[in-house]
Amino acid sequence: MKLFFRLAVCLILVSALLAGCSKPAEPQTPDPSQSTTPTFKIGIMTGTVSQGEDEYRAAEQVKAKYGDRIVHVTYPDNFMQEQETTISLLTGLASDPDVKAIVVCQAVPGTAAAIDKIRETRDDIIFVVVVPHEDVKLMESKADIMFETDNLARGRTIVQLAKELGATHFLHYSFPRHMSMELLAQRRQIMEDTCKELGIEFVFVTAPDPMGPDGIPGAQKFILEDVPRQVAQYGKDICVFSTNCGMQEPLIKAALQEGAIFAEQCCPSPTHGYPNALGLDVGGIAGDMPKILAAIEETIVESGGSGRFATWPVPINMVFLRAGVELAIQAVEGEIQLTDEAAVKAALEAEAGVTMQLSKYSEDGNFWLAVMDSVIFGK
Amino acid sequence: MEARRKFSVKAFIKANGVPIMFFILCGLGVLASGKPIGFLMQEAIGRMARNSFLVLSLVVPIVAGLGLNFAIVLGAMAGQAGLIAVAAAKIRGLMGLFTAILVAFPLALLLGWTAGTIMNKAKGREMIAGMILGFFMNGVYMLVFLFGAGTVLPIKDPAMILPQGYGLRNTVDLQVIKWSLDNLLKVRIGPVSLPLATFAASALLSWGIVKLFSTKLGQDMRAVGQDLRIAEVAGIKVDRTRMIAMLLSTVLGSIGQIIFLQNIGTLNVYDSHGQTATFAIAALLVGGATVTKATVGQALLGTFMFHLLFIVSPYAGQNLLGSAMVGEYFRAFIAYAVIAFSLALHSLQRSRMAVRR
Repeated sequence: MKLFFRLAVCLILVSALLAGCSKPAEPQTPDPSQSTTPTFKIGIMTGTVSQGEDEYRAAEQVKAKYGDRIVHVTYPDNFMQEQETTISLLTGLASDPDVKAIVVCQAVPGTAAAIDKIRETRDDIIFVVVVPHEDVKLMESKADIMFETDNLARGRTIVQLAKELGATHFLHYSFPRHMSMELLAQRRQIMEDTCKELGIEFVFVTAPDPMGPDGIPGAQKFILEDVPRQVAQYGKDICVFSTNCGMQEPLIKAALQEGAIFAEQCCPSPTHGYPNALGLDVGGIAGDMPKILAAIEETIVESGGSGRFATWPVPINMVFLRAGVELAIQAVEGEIQLTDEAAVKAALEAEAGVTMQLSKYSEDGNFWLAVMDSVIFGK
Repeated sequence: MEARRKFSVKAFIKANGVPIMFFILCGLGVLASGKPIGFLMQEAIGRMARNSFLVLSLVVPIVAGLGLNFAIVLGAMAGQAGLIAVAAAKIRGLMGLFTAILVAFPLALLLGWTAGTIMNKAKGREMIAGMILGFFMNGVYMLVFLFGAGTVLPIKDPAMILPQGYGLRNTVDLQVIKWSLDNLLKVRIGPVSLPLATFAASALLSWGIVKLFSTKLGQDMRAVGQDLRIAEVAGIKVDRTRMIAMLLSTVLGSIGQIIFLQNIGTLNVYDSHGQTATFAIAALLVGGATVTKATVGQALLGTFMFHLLFIVSPYAGQNLLGSAMVGEYFRAFIAYAVIAFSLALHSLQRSRMAVRR
C-alpha cells in the first residue's frame, strides 16, 4: 500500500510538473511579419550551452530572424553514449516534410548514420555539416557541404599577423601532452618555418600542463610570472601565443600589463579569454559580438594596448552555422549551388563581416576549411 | 480464492511498480511530444529491432544468479571485431553478417570464459567485477585497434586506417552489411516499416531462452541462481553452470551488437560498445526485471518502453518548456531519474522481502 501511495504521489508530482510547465510554451507564436515568406523549414541541431554556447546562441539568433521556419533541437550533452538519441532527433527533424535542409553544428557521432537513414526515405534534404566528429572521409561522402576551421593554415596566418602588429619575436607556450598531438605539433612547425621566412625569432617555452599536478591554477600562475621574464629578455615586441584554452586569460592579462603583443587565442573569438582578462561583465550582452568587441576595444585602448591585440570578430562556428542556414535557404530556393565557391565565400563573409580564406579538404569533395581575418583593437 | 484475487491487485502493482511508472511516463510523454504516432511507432520499432537481441542476452545470467551482466561489453567488443574484419575484407550482405558472427564467436567464447572464470572467483560481487572487467578489456581493445590494426592485423584499406599507417580511424563505414538483416524481409504497414527478419532473430532467441529453462541445464541454472549452497549440495556443478551462463550471454551479446550495428550502419570503433551495457541493463530493469529475476517478456517490454521514452522526452521537454536546450536537460533528467528510481525501487522491494522472510 505504501508503494502504491508513493506511486500516486509521483504521478501527481509529474502531472503537476507537466501542467505547470505547459504554459510558458504558449507565447511562442509565429512572428506575423514572417507569415508571407515561403513555407519550407530548416532544421538545426546544436549542443546545449554546456557543450558550446556560441553555437547555441547562433541558432537562437537564426531562430529570432526566421521565426517558426527554424526548428531547433539540441543533441545530448552525453553525446558519445547516446548516439541513438542523436539519430532519432535528426530523423525526427526530417519527419516533417516541410523541413528541406538540416544544419548540424557540431556533427557529433551518429550524424553519419542519421543522414543515411534519412536519405533512405527522403532525397530532397540538404545536409550542412559543421565540425564533423566522425571520420572526415566518411562524412565528406555523406554531407552536401561541410565546414571546419583550418587550424594548420593558422600556423601561417597567426605569425603573419604578429609581424603586422610589429613583432620581432614569437613566443609559443605549450607542453608535451599538446605537442604530442599531431595537428598541434604540425602547426608549431609551420609557425617556426613562417617565423624564419619573415625574419622573426621563434621562442618555444614549455609551460606546466594544466592537467598536471598543479592543475589549471598552476599553469595560469606560471604564465603570469613568465611573460614579464620573457619581455625583460626579448623586449616588448614579442608576440605571445599558447595552445591551451585555460592559459589565454593570464596571457592576455600579462601581455597587456607588460606591453607585449597578442595576435590570437588558441580558439579565436571575442569571448575567449578577453572578457575575463579585462574584467568585463558581458552578462547583459551575451552572444552580441559587436557590443562585446566594442567593450574589449575600449578597455584595451584605455590600458595602452592599441594596435597590439587582435582576435577574430566572431567565433567561427557561429559564422558556419549562420552562413550554413543562409546557404541552405538559398540552395532550397534554387538560387545557388552548394558547390559554388563564390556563393559559399560570400555567405561566410557576409556573416563574419571580414574576409575569409577558404581551402578545400579534398578536390572532389565539398568540405571547406576556413580562416578568418582578424580585428585589431584600437586600429 | 476470493481473498487471493483481492490481494493480487495490490500485489500486482507492488510487483510491477517500475513498469507501471514507466508506462504512465511514456503515455504522458507521447501526449506532450506532439509528434505523429506513426513517426513515434517507426522510431520505437526501429530501436526495438536493433536493441531487443542485446537486452535478451542479459536474461540468462540473471536467472543463473550472476546478476546484471555488465560484462556484456566484452561480447559487444567481440562483435565489433567481427564487423571490422568483415568491413576490411569487404564481404557483402548476409554473407558478411554471418562471417562477422563467425569471427566474433571464438573471441566471444574466449572473453566469456575469462569473464566466467573471474565471476566464479568473485561470487556475490559479480556486477562490479563485470563492470571493472569491461573497463579493463576496453583498454585491451583500444590497444589492439589503435596499434595492432595495420601492423599485426592485415588491414590495408586507406579508408579504414589512419594516415600514419597504423590504427583504425574512429569511424568505420559498415556499408557492406548495412541493413542486410533488416532489409531481408521488410513489411510496410501504413507509415511504419517492420524489419521482420530482425524481429524473427529476437523471437528465435526468446523461444530458445524459454526452451532452455525447461531443460536440465536451465533448471540447474535456476537452482544455482536461487541458492548456491543448496544447488551445490544437490549435486549441481555450480561453477560449470555459471560458466555456461556467462559464455551464452557473451556470445549472444556479440551477435546482439552485430545486429545493432548493421542497423546503425557506421561503427564508432572506440566507443560504440561504451553504451551497450548501461542501456541494455536499464531497458531490462524498466521492463520490471530485477537483479535476481528476469523473463523474456520483461526484456521485450522494457526495451520498448525505455526507448519510447528516449524518443519522446526531447520533444516533450521542448514542447512543455519552450526551449530546445531545456528540452534536452528535461530529457536527461527524466531518462536517468527513472533508471535510478527503478534501481531504488528494486532495493526497496528486496529489503522488504528480506524482512518478510
